[in-house]
Amino acid sequence: MGLTAKLLKGTLYAGGLRIGKLDGYERLIAGIYGRPDRVPIILQPYTFAMAQHGLPARRFFTEPEPFVNASRNTAAYFGADSWSPIFDFYNIELEALGQKLIWRENSEPDVDTREPLVASRDDFRRLKPPIPGRGGRMPYVLESYRRYIDVMGIPPMAYACSPFTMAVLIRGYVNFLRDMRRDPAFAHRLLKFLSMEVVVPWIDKMVEATRTAIVVMSDAWASAPNMTTQIVREFCLPYVEKVVRATNSSMRTVMDSGSWGEKQVAEPSEILDVKMDMMTRGNGFKPLRPFFLLVWNEDYEEVGIPRMRAYAEEKNVCLMLNVRPDLIEEGPIERIVGNIVKLIGEGAGKGKFALLINLVPVGTPVEHAHAAVAAIKQFGAYPVGSLEPSAFRMPSFEPFDEWMRREGLPV
Amino acid sequence: MDWEQDLAAAVTEGEEIRAEELARAALEEGAAPREVLEKGAVAGIYQTGRLWEEGDYFLPDVILSIEAFNKVMEMVEPLLAGEVASTKGKVVLGSVEGDAHDLGKNIVAAMLRSSLYEVIDLGIDVGAERFVEAARDLHPDVIGLGAYMTTTMRNMEGVITALREAGLRDCVKLIIGGAPVTADYAERIGADGYGADAVGAVALVDRLLGVS
Repeated sequence: MGLTAKLLKGTLYAGGLRIGKLDGYERLIAGIYGRPDRVPIILQPYTFAMAQHGLPARRFFTEPEPFVNASRNTAAYFGADSWSPIFDFYNIELEALGQKLIWRENSEPDVDTREPLVASRDDFRRLKPPIPGRGGRMPYVLESYRRYIDVMGIPPMAYACSPFTMAVLIRGYVNFLRDMRRDPAFAHRLLKFLSMEVVVPWIDKMVEATRTAIVVMSDAWASAPNMTTQIVREFCLPYVEKVVRATNSSMRTVMDSGSWGEKQVAEPSEILDVKMDMMTRGNGFKPLRPFFLLVWNEDYEEVGIPRMRAYAEEKNVCLMLNVRPDLIEEGPIERIVGNIVKLIGEGAGKGKFALLINLVPVGTPVEHAHAAVAAIKQFGAYPVGSLEPSAFRMPSFEPFDEWMRREGLPV
Repeated sequence: MDWEQDLAAAVTEGEEIRAEELARAALEEGAAPREVLEKGAVAGIYQTGRLWEEGDYFLPDVILSIEAFNKVMEMVEPLLAGEVASTKGKVVLGSVEGDAHDLGKNIVAAMLRSSLYEVIDLGIDVGAERFVEAARDLHPDVIGLGAYMTTTMRNMEGVITALREAGLRDCVKLIIGGAPVTADYAERIGADGYGADAVGAVALVDRLLGVS
């Protein structure tokens, strides 16, 4: 079934027209727009997949074939509904611009903050926009997306770095704070360059290569307490809007996400309002209209899930919560199940809810991840019924190597 | 004197160029380096801490204020040699292996310096062996480990193990901090303390070393 048909089926199911069984992607769509058969599970295989397949970081983050195969195998092994080929998406445009990265053997590469690419105004004058799709590891990303389409039959969600976070990384946090305070005109010039000369052409290239319906710009630096909401509104949101205006279409939604900080402010809705504005207005095609409110465990554990749920309902968007990574790593299974039960009990409501396993830390026992997924499947069935953790039934599962051999999957 | 208030205000307001100019002028006019530090820069950073605690300052304000404090400190510190008989103690700081983030660590370093601790900053992505070398060669009173991602937090335990294996664990107090770190985690891995933020870190070091 094609992407449009899946979107339609998921949307109709969400609205009450429940024809046939949902596959993982359709369940996610139904969960975003209404009530699916059960709470959808999104998994980001990331470095766990890398370690599970014994791949060094250099290969995983530069070679499309092992990267996509390992990510797919891990997502399938745990039985997630949906997964995206998640790489170090904050670094791609930066690296193509010439920013130095730190590479390590067993984890993702990171920007070398000791050597920001734009350390001075002269550096900015010398900056050349990358050739979209050809600079740095852009070819790796495009080829990985192509392979994802081959494997999954649908386009992936594509990722870009937001102009604001890119500015912080390329300039250095303190330098950019000074720019915004003392020379806002320079800060705006830099942001405009990154938006229109770097991010927009890159998004266009990814869309051309994948026909993806969803592009997410990640914006971790637009978060409290590192930035105030006043700063985000003045220096971040206008450029999100510029990029969205330049790249959105009736069949595509481009949006900004990934920020946090509700617990850092006296009134959490201040941050939640910014998050909603980061989605901007979306487009005319309802299945692609924004969308979801993603809240991280550090915040919802302190502010409370019911408050997040109430806000999401008020705005009529899907509430998406991540499952706390260190809990999955540490276990025990009873604690993991108890946590899942709490998330579902307080968050699932009557739909418009999804759970994101954003990180399975390297070294996590596989039974912990299996337990998390199984608990969501068991307790997340709509209408949500009895939520008694002691009723959890741990499924049997094969060791990963045996499962791989039986499935005959490639790495 | 006017320069004291002006310098303190420049530090509080995060005006590092002005702070540097005022400090230089004060020194040229004969102010003692220690006076410039304590009555100007330290007074300014303390005011920043107060504004932060009262909710009037946000993190970006604090960061710029710390930058201004550091500028003055860089200028004055070499002139203090021999003048300051003792600091409150020596602290080695670093972001653990795999972690390239340094924002939180830098704030802790500045707050400790402003509280008259000697701070040796090992930087980012610091392996367990370097912490062991620092413990052996620099004889710090405290080692502070920062981790800012769930994926790197686990490396804190490796540092403690390495210190133990080198027979140095009991020679030094070990504190940890960073966004994903909790007091519970600190206790589980056998750290001596956990600082929730920079102000908390200073209070923690004071308490561990029994100083005020």
